[in-house]
Amino acid sequence: MLIFDQLKKDDPHLRFLAIVVLAGILILLTGLWWVQLVSTKYFQKSLENQSTRSVRIPAIRGKILDRNGIPLADNRPFFSVDLFLEDLSGKYQSAFNSAASRLKTNINLQIAAKEKLLGRKLKPQERKQLAVSEQGLALLHQQTRYDATTALLASLGEKLSQPISLTQTNFEKWYEKSRVLPLPVLINLNQTQIARFEEQSGTVPGVDLDVTSLRYYPNGAMAAHVLGFLERDNQSDDVQSRHFSYPLTDYKGVTGVEGLFDDALHGTAGAKSVVVNNQGFRHSETIETPPSPGENVVLTIDFNIQKAAEAAMRTHLGVNAHSAVVVMDPRNGDILTMASQPAYDPNFFVQPMDPAAREAQWELLQDTNRRPQLNRAMHENYHPGSIFKIVVGLAALEQGLDPNAKFHSLGNYPMKGLREPIGDTAGPGDFDFDRALAKSSNPYFITQGLKEGVLPRILELGHRLHFGEKTGLFPRAEARGNFPTLAAVSKRDWYPVETAYLSIGQGRIDVTPLQIAVMISAVANGGDVYFPRLVSAIVPDGETEPSETFPSARLRDKLGVSERSLRIVREAMLADVQRPAPEGTGHAAAVPDFPIAGKTGTAEVENRNGKKDRSLKDTWFVSFAPYDSPRYAVVVMVEGGASGGLSCAPVAHDIYLAIQKHEQNLKPGSKAGTLATVQ
Amino acid sequence: MLTGIHSERPSRIDIPQLLAVLCLMVLSVAFVYSATRLNEIGVTSFYHQTFFKQFIWFILGLGAAAAVCMVDYHIICRWSFVAYWLCILILIVVLIPGIGKTHGWGARRWIDLPGFQFQPSEFAKLAFILAQANYLSRPVDELRQRSIFWSAIGLLLLPFLLIMKEPDLGSALVLVPTGLIMLTVAGTPPRYMLQLVGIGAILGGLLVTDLLYAPPKYRIKMKEYQVKRLLVYFGRNYVSYSAPGGDAAEQRRLKEEQLKDEYNVKQAMIAVGSGGMWGEGWRQGQQNALGYVPKAGKHNDFIFCVIAEELGFFGSVVVLALYSVILFTGIRIAGQARDRLGKLLAVGVVTLLFSHIFINIGMNIRIMPVTGVPLPLLSYGGSSVLGSLIAIGLLQNIYMYRKAY
Repeated sequence: MLIFDQLKKDDPHLRFLAIVVLAGILILLTGLWWVQLVSTKYFQKSLENQSTRSVRIPAIRGKILDRNGIPLADNRPFFSVDLFLEDLSGKYQSAFNSAASRLKTNINLQIAAKEKLLGRKLKPQERKQLAVSEQGLALLHQQTRYDATTALLASLGEKLSQPISLTQTNFEKWYEKSRVLPLPVLINLNQTQIARFEEQSGTVPGVDLDVTSLRYYPNGAMAAHVLGFLERDNQSDDVQSRHFSYPLTDYKGVTGVEGLFDDALHGTAGAKSVVVNNQGFRHSETIETPPSPGENVVLTIDFNIQKAAEAAMRTHLGVNAHSAVVVMDPRNGDILTMASQPAYDPNFFVQPMDPAAREAQWELLQDTNRRPQLNRAMHENYHPGSIFKIVVGLAALEQGLDPNAKFHSLGNYPMKGLREPIGDTAGPGDFDFDRALAKSSNPYFITQGLKEGVLPRILELGHRLHFGEKTGLFPRAEARGNFPTLAAVSKRDWYPVETAYLSIGQGRIDVTPLQIAVMISAVANGGDVYFPRLVSAIVPDGETEPSETFPSARLRDKLGVSERSLRIVREAMLADVQRPAPEGTGHAAAVPDFPIAGKTGTAEVENRNGKKDRSLKDTWFVSFAPYDSPRYAVVVMVEGGASGGLSCAPVAHDIYLAIQKHEQNLKPGSKAGTLATVQ
Repeated sequence: MLTGIHSERPSRIDIPQLLAVLCLMVLSVAFVYSATRLNEIGVTSFYHQTFFKQFIWFILGLGAAAAVCMVDYHIICRWSFVAYWLCILILIVVLIPGIGKTHGWGARRWIDLPGFQFQPSEFAKLAFILAQANYLSRPVDELRQRSIFWSAIGLLLLPFLLIMKEPDLGSALVLVPTGLIMLTVAGTPPRYMLQLVGIGAILGGLLVTDLLYAPPKYRIKMKEYQVKRLLVYFGRNYVSYSAPGGDAAEQRRLKEEQLKDEYNVKQAMIAVGSGGMWGEGWRQGQQNALGYVPKAGKHNDFIFCVIAEELGFFGSVVVLALYSVILFTGIRIAGQARDRLGKLLAVGVVTLLFSHIFINIGMNIRIMPVTGVPLPLLSYGGSSVLGSLIAIGLLQNIYMYRKAY
C-alpha cells in the first residue's frame, strides 16, 4: 500500500513526514467524525432553529353574556382570501427566467447594433457596461414577482367581480419579512363574495379562503359602556413571554368588562412552527400548542330591560341627550341595566370599515362636548337635588319629626346671610311630610335639616350609604362623588346656609346614578345597603359549570333606621307617582297595575364660573316597584333636562312598562302553557 | 496499487495521483456551482458564471502542469532563484497602493491583470519551494554550517514577512511548516531544528499570551481584526478583553461585534455538523442556500463546509481520502526521486499542500483559527488553482525523471 511502502523504507525523514501527514489526516477525520456524526443532533437542532419560524395563534375571545345567556359581545367568522406564496414560487421563477431571457436577447441586440455602428467587436469593458448589475437583477426579481402576483390577483378579481389592489411596497414588505405566512389580499368577505369564491377559486392556484374569528357586538352601541372596547395589541406579551417570529394581530380589552376581565376573556394563545425551505418559503407547519379559547363572562344585565331602557332614552330624549339609566334589583344589588348616552359602537374598534365612515365615527368619538366614551351612570358627579330629601326625611323622622304636623311654607326660605331667599317650586301653603316630599317643598326640608341633631343623622345615613366612596365596580372608571364628613361640618367654615343647601341636595354633595340606585334599593328593601354586582360568573367555553362565581347580595352596610320611618318615606314616594300632577310630580312614570314609588329631583348646577345656570340642571327620577315587593329600582338622570318629572319620569315609565311585559312573559303559568301546546 | 516501479513497463506518469486530482476538480466545479448558483442564475450566461470560470482555470492549470512536465526539474531549478527574486519583487510591488488591489477585503493581495486578478503570494509559495530545494540540495555536510542554516532561514523569512505585510496571515503561515520540514528532510542537524522550533514556540507563545491576557497597555500592537480572530479562536470575551471602565453602550457594542465575528465560524460549524452521515444532497444545503454561510467566502475559503453539509461525513471522508492519495503518492515520489533536489522539491510540495488542507478544513471545525487559506483544487480562484496544479505538475515531473527511469 501507499503508506506502508514508505514506512518500510529506510528513510527516517520521509517516514517522519508520512507520520505527520497521517496524523494530520487522522486529526481532521476525528474532528469531522465528532462534528458530523457525534454532535450532528446539536447542529441539526441549530439548523432547525434557523429554519423554523414560530407563529402565534390568537385564541378565540370569550363571549360576554347577559343574565339569561343572550350574547352582548360575540365573535363572528371573518373571511379573507389568502395568497400562499410558496405555491407561487415556481411561477415567480419562470416569470423571472422569461424576463431574464428577454433582457438577455435585448442586450445581445444592443451589442450587435453597437458593433455594427462601430464596425468592430466591443471590448469586454464596453460589454460590461451594457450588462445587468447585481442590483439590476434583484430589481428584476422584485418586479417580475410583483407582476406575476398582480396578474394573478387581476384574474381572481375578475372572477369575483371585485377589483383587488395590492401595492408593490406592501407586497415587497410582506415578501421580505413574512414570506412564510399567507398574504391576505381581500378581507372581510360577505356571503355573496364567499359563494362566488367557492364557485370560482378552483381555477386559481395559490389562493384559499381563510376564516378567523373577530369580535362582534351584535347590538351595536347597546350597553357599550358596560362592555367596553378592544384595541389592537401588537405586543403579545404573553405570560410565557415567548418570542414569536410572527405574533399575528391580537386584541386586548381596554375598558369596561372587556378590559377588567381581559385575562379570562382573552384565553391563551397557541403556537405553531413553520419550517421554511431553502428559499425561505413555507415548507410545512406543525401546531405546537393549540390556542385555548377564552372564558365567557356572564353579566347581571338583563338584555330586555337594557334594550327597553335605551329605547326609552332615545324616544324621549334623543340620542344626544347626556343621560344615564341604572336599573338595580333592590333585593341583592344586581345591576339589571346600565345605560349612558351618548354612546359609541364598540364594533368601531375591531370591525373593518370604509375609511370615510371611519373618519366620521372618529370625529364623533373625539367630540369633547358629547364625550360618548364617558359612562355617565357611574363616572361623573352630579348634584342629587330633591332626591336627597329622601335621606333628609329619614333623618328627620328618626329624630322625632311628626309626619302629620303641618308646616306653613312661604314659598321660599329667607336665609340669614343670603341676599335672596332660597327658592322653591312647591309654592306657599301648608305641608305635612307626605305632601312636602311629593311636592318637594324646599322650606319644609331646610327647616327639618336645620333642626338640632338632624345634620349628624343625615351624615350618618350618607356614610352608611357610602356616598363619596367608590363601589369598586370599575375601579378606574368610577367617580367617587362628594359627601361631607362629620369633621368637615364641625369646622368653623361650615355655615348653616350649607346645611340648608345640603338638606335639598345642593351645595357640597355630588353623587353618581349608581350610588343613587344603591340608596333607593336600601329604602325599598328595608335598609340593606348592597355592593352593586355586574358580573355574576365566569364560565369556560362549552361548559355549564362556572369556573368562578361572584356572590350575589353582598351586604355593605345597614341603614339603621326604623321600619316606620322607611314606610312613611315609601308611602310619600308612592303618592308622588300615583297622585296626578301637580300634587304628584312623578306621575308621568305611573303604569297601570304596577305600583311605582318615586321621587323627582332637579338640581341647579354651577357653570364654570361658579354661577348658577338655569339651562344646566341635573334632573332625576328615582323609583322602585312593585310597591309591595320591590324587585326593580330604576334611576334616570338627564343632564340639562327641564325637570325630573318632565324629562326623566317618562323614560322610567317606558322602562317599567317593558318590565311589566317582560315579567308577564316569564310567568310560570304562561311558560307551562307554551310547553303544553308544544307537547 | 499501480506503482510504476514494479510493473513491466513503468508508467510515465503517476496515474493514481492524477485520478485523485481529476476527482477533486469535478467536485470543485460541482460545489462551486452549488455555492454560487442562487446568486447567479438567470441573466448571467453560463460562461460568465463562477463554476464555468473555475472549469476554465482547471483547463489552463492542467496545461500549465503539462508544460511543467515537459522540462526536467533540474532545468527548472536552475531558474529557481530568478523566479524567487521575481516573486519577492512582485510581493514588494503589490504593497504599493495603486498597483496592489484590495478588492474590498482590507488586505492588499491582488494585482489586476487584463482578464483576471493575480495573487502573487500563491506563486511566491512555489518559487520559495524551488529556491529552498535548490539551496538545500547541496551536500549534507555543508548543512552543518551555521551560515548555511541561517541563509536558508532567511530564504523563508523574506517572503514570510512580505506576505504578512499584505496582510495575509494564512498564506504566510503555511510557509513555516513547509520550510521547516524541508530543512529537516535535507538533513539539517536535529539540534539546530530543536533550537529553532524551541525559540519559535517560546516567542509565539509569549506573543499570544501577551495579546490575550496582558493588561491593555502592555500588549503588542497588532491589526485589530487579527487580534479579534485570535480572541474568537481562543474563545475570549471582547468585553472583558477591552480596557476596563467602558460604559454600557460600549460594552453592548463589543458584545454585538463579537457575535458578528463569531458568526462565520459558528455558521460554518452548523453547516458541517448538520450534514450528518450522508448530507442533505447536492444543492440542497439549507445553510448554503439560506445564506448563513458567508456569501463572499463559500465558493472559495468556505467551500469545504458546503461539501460537508451537502454530502455529509461521507463527503468529508471522500475529500480526505482523495487528498491522502495525493499526499502519500507525493511522499512516495519523494522516496523515488533521482536525487536530493527532487526529494526536497516533492517534500516541499507535499507539505505545502498538506498545510493548506489542514488549516482550511481545521478552520471549518474550529480546531484552527479563521485565516484566508484556500483549499487546494477545491476552492475557487485562478491563482490558487494554477499554483496547485503547477505543484502537482512538479510532483509528476519528479516522478517522470525518477531513479529507475
